[in-house]
Amino acid sequence: MRNKKSKRLQYLFNGIILENPILILMIGLCPALATSTTAKDAFGMSVATSFVLICSNIVVSLIRKFVPESVRIPIFIIIISTFVTIVDYTMQAYVPTLYRVLGVFVPLIVVNCMILGRAEAFAYQHNIFDSFLDGLGKAVGFTLVLVIMSIIREYFSTGEIFGFVIGPRFIISQPMLFMIFPPGAFLLIGLLKAFINKFIIKPEPTD
Amino acid sequence: MTTNPLLIFIAAFIVNNIILIRYLGLCPFFGVSTTLTTAFGMSTACLFVMLIATWVTWTIYHFLLLPLDLIFLRTAVFILIIATLVQFVEIFLKKNFKALYSAMGIYLPLITTNCAILAVTFLAIDYRFSLILATIFALGNALGFGLVIVLFSAIRERLEFAPLSRSFKGYPIAFIAASLVALAFLGFIGLFGLPL
Amino acid sequence: MKSLSWMAISLFIVCLIAAGLLSRVYTVTKIQIEKQKQDGIQKQLSQVLPEAVSFRETIDDTLWLGFDKDNQQIGIVFRTAWQGYAGPIPILVGLGNDTVIRKIYIASAAEGLKETPGLGFKIRETSFLEQFYNKMYKEIQLVKDGGTIHAITASTISSNAVINGIRAGIERFQSNLDGDTNSVQDLQIDTTTGATESDYEK
Repeated sequence: MRNKKSKRLQYLFNGIILENPILILMIGLCPALATSTTAKDAFGMSVATSFVLICSNIVVSLIRKFVPESVRIPIFIIIISTFVTIVDYTMQAYVPTLYRVLGVFVPLIVVNCMILGRAEAFAYQHNIFDSFLDGLGKAVGFTLVLVIMSIIREYFSTGEIFGFVIGPRFIISQPMLFMIFPPGAFLLIGLLKAFINKFIIKPEPTD
Repeated sequence: MTTNPLLIFIAAFIVNNIILIRYLGLCPFFGVSTTLTTAFGMSTACLFVMLIATWVTWTIYHFLLLPLDLIFLRTAVFILIIATLVQFVEIFLKKNFKALYSAMGIYLPLITTNCAILAVTFLAIDYRFSLILATIFALGNALGFGLVIVLFSAIRERLEFAPLSRSFKGYPIAFIAASLVALAFLGFIGLFGLPL
Repeated sequence: MKSLSWMAISLFIVCLIAAGLLSRVYTVTKIQIEKQKQDGIQKQLSQVLPEAVSFRETIDDTLWLGFDKDNQQIGIVFRTAWQGYAGPIPILVGLGNDTVIRKIYIASAAEGLKETPGLGFKIRETSFLEQFYNKMYKEIQLVKDGGTIHAITASTISSNAVINGIRAGIERFQSNLDGDTNSVQDLQIDTTTGATESDYEK
């Protein structure tokens, strides 16, 4: 019983750091870089992606006994794209400004390898509750990286966080505009990855 | 959005480069840009699939989904079309063009989850392009993808031998190199007054 | 054989459920999406022409006539755009019947503004926008061209684009004002002088 519980906790926490989808598994990079320009956008994108990930994990796990192995991938794709479309239209209807900023990246959640990957590698073999925990863990990991990146990028490029002015005036009057543009995004994720390699998960020595 | 074919091409090719400015197709960009050969194979496969996918999805959207008021099925239909299409192209090349298949065959399955392809088909619809303009747009994007991935693979081949601290080896230094290349591409912003 | 037919059936069932669910979502959200769009426009219209209580669209998404509570036309609101540094700058202008500009609204990044954040984006700051409030056509010029507008430092192209966009818009739509519009006819000033070559050299 105890063993089962610790395993469940592992499902949940693996996704946050040890199997972080962006910084460790290096998947879902496109939305991570594209939508992390401001903290608000990044948070919106994370919520949308998390919703799709958790729902698709639950549904795949729910119907896994009835799905023939040979057509499982098309079925997963249909399930995922259904949730993506639901998110797409809901955002258009209730948060139109955010939707316009995120643009094409909302429908593109469907090709986020993380979601199909979890459906195939985890939810297809595990029960509903475990799949939910796994989805939640990965979603938190994804959100964490997006929000951290966006806070750094937003702060350096505008001197604001979530739209609130924080800290010394010189950042606002002479901002590092570079951070809001693609080069800033690439530089930041490179440094984050190096940080992870140095302090959290040391890569195997290759030479 | 402009309707000048040349401007659309240049915008897609350089000014709004699909990888470095639009942040699309990053997984294959970092995944296969390790050597010049793989980069070349990937960009050929991408060019091929992107053009066909744009034609097929454009036709289906305008002659099937729009008249039947089924636009809410767009995401599902497009991704399934691309997945099927990639399979077809693979079988077709294997049977008829052995040489081409051996050059880019192994990259084809990877393309299904390449967000660049799906994004180009979506954008061609969102920008309300005609079929000809959509083709030019797809061509520009595919060539822009190829240009960057091939250029970048040359940089990465050199990086392999660079004396680096262990934590920067591999992905981190690739990201930082990409940052510098993106900085160069940022210089094209505003070229011919093209919108970003 | 059984597994093959089950394969087809399961695929079919999933497709059917997905399509049914999506069409439901689509019909529900469609109304809300339409409403959001209208609300957004209405809010911006009354922001730039505050005296008006109702608006009538005469050119699709470009020109609205503003009416007061007695249903008298008191002005117009028009949408105009001019090529800025990185793309066209969309501007919404409220113009009273007395040909005095009430307020202007410049689109945000989400609504299509492409200027450089921190430089060209300063055209959205109140201190710049306020220069246009309660001004006549002939005053909408840079100070050095004889007008009253101070350009934003290091963003001359964006500042000029706003001026040119507004001027071009007034010239195009002034005939829709209710009342004597002759007062503006004689103010035709060459709009191409807005962005001179020396501006680009900076």
